[in-house]
Amino acid sequence: MTQTLQAATRPARRPAAKVRRAAAGRRPPRAGLMTLLCVASLFTVAPLIAVVILALSPQDAPTIPNAWPRELTFDNLVRILRLGSFPRWLLNSFCYSAISVVVILFTSSMAAYALARKRFPGRNVVLWSIVATLMVPVQTTLIPTFVLVAHVGGVNTLWGLILPTLANAQAVFLIRQFIRELPNELFDAARVDGAGEWRTFVSIVLPLIRPVIATLAIFLFLWHWNDLLWPLVVGQSDSARTLTVGLASLNTETVSTSNLMAAALISFLPCLLIFVILQRHIVAGIAATGVKG
Amino acid sequence: MSTQTPSRRREAITGLLFLLPVLVIFGAFKFIPILGAAGMSLTRYRLNGDVTFIGGDNYARLLADANFWHSVGVTFLYVALFVPATIVVSLGGAMLLNAVAGGATGIFRALLFVPYLCSFVLAGIVWSWIFRTDGPVNAALHELQLGPVHFLTGKQLLVLASLAVVSVWKGFGYSMLVFLAGLKAQPAEVYEAAVLDGASPRQVFLRITLPLLKPVFFFVLVMETIIGFQVFDTIYVMTGGGPARASFSITYFLYDAGFKFLDFGYAAAIGVALFLIVLVLSILQRRWLEEKETA
Repeated sequence: MTQTLQAATRPARRPAAKVRRAAAGRRPPRAGLMTLLCVASLFTVAPLIAVVILALSPQDAPTIPNAWPRELTFDNLVRILRLGSFPRWLLNSFCYSAISVVVILFTSSMAAYALARKRFPGRNVVLWSIVATLMVPVQTTLIPTFVLVAHVGGVNTLWGLILPTLANAQAVFLIRQFIRELPNELFDAARVDGAGEWRTFVSIVLPLIRPVIATLAIFLFLWHWNDLLWPLVVGQSDSARTLTVGLASLNTETVSTSNLMAAALISFLPCLLIFVILQRHIVAGIAATGVKG
Repeated sequence: MSTQTPSRRREAITGLLFLLPVLVIFGAFKFIPILGAAGMSLTRYRLNGDVTFIGGDNYARLLADANFWHSVGVTFLYVALFVPATIVVSLGGAMLLNAVAGGATGIFRALLFVPYLCSFVLAGIVWSWIFRTDGPVNAALHELQLGPVHFLTGKQLLVLASLAVVSVWKGFGYSMLVFLAGLKAQPAEVYEAAVLDGASPRQVFLRITLPLLKPVFFFVLVMETIIGFQVFDTIYVMTGGGPARASFSITYFLYDAGFKFLDFGYAAAIGVALFLIVLVLSILQRRWLEEKETA
């Protein structure tokens, strides 16, 4: 108390600077940090703003980096949405992402329930063989998976695209960790009430694991929506191409920058929308993977 | 006593039934392909069903193939650029966010994270434009009487560094949030004690923050190394393995062997080699971090 008073009343700068420097051991001045954060954010966001500006610039009009566009237009977006196979690519991406997410989450929840709550021989072997597949790069299994899908006629089909991606170890593992933390009493109560296994799973487990399901849903959607390699090799014809593959092919064709950026912007909007709505779950989900995992 | 055995058996049966869908999916699309990769790498494999067992020939060929060693060199160089950069950027971002507690953190966190939402293809397209000879970076350099710099068509180190910049920009958000969660879990008392003892910010970072962060650090290091070795999308979109194979990574080599030359057995062998490299490196990284702990 006296020290603060002294520091406040005395005109000398030295003690104040000393106190501030001591505090700086943990916390440098806020204004500097804010500036740093602003600059860093500018670096991360600027390329995406450039996409938006280029996508909305009239075709052949001077635009960044040479000049700011005089007017903005939605023409490019409309043109791209009407372009040949673009609607098909969009639909394929939606099916690929949405169907995969739903099936992965449902089957993984079932497996996770068994792995977390049921005792049976070989349980740990199963769990660790599933988790061990995380160490194998997707490229290692790319060729055999492609050959397998090709032999059953799945190349250039939507089901051929979706099926192999349904094996997702992260989903099984994370949901299992979550179910393990649920209190035993809940399951005992369900048993006492005479609920069968399926009922326990549907009306007790599924509602309780909603947080981890929400988080996984976002990430699985993002990963599938943005995936390139597998859709590239299995969806070679337009009928089975996803938006990401289509976007990559537009990049090699002679499409104007504004049209290419319009396509890029359209591919990005669903991801941005999901993020804006469900931000909280994303942060919680990443925290869970990194700190506990 | 007599009811226990049947109820145990029933528990086992329900457990297996709940596990069944995932077991089938993993069996067909993970376990069989993993074994298949090992098996196919020992064959000359054509898609028309023409399969010949050739033992270790693919591996002998791989070890004698200049293209393979070149792609290994490219990939290691890329990883050496990408992994440290991504760790510095994501840890820096996390520490910044952690230091500025308060209402604005949410917005900044979102702004820093937002590139993670886009695909590597989208990132590649935007940054190809940014790096163009008549793009914004070169326009800025021109103002400074510098350049033009040929980011994607110049020397190998420059091209790989440019690709690494794109991957860091796109991907660091995830690791940043992992680090941030780790930082938030650290006990504040330790820091207060250190400040009272007169520790410098550098000492605090090296002696307290990093050691406490070790498990998280290991997780991020291994994850980003695996991601680095799998680099494909940005190369496919931005350079196509060029110029003059400057960005011809292992994964690009694998893609070429498999889907350009339809040499499936050989491509499978490349896939197995990639797995072994990643595995050995993960083990070495764990050893390295454990040694640092005992030292």
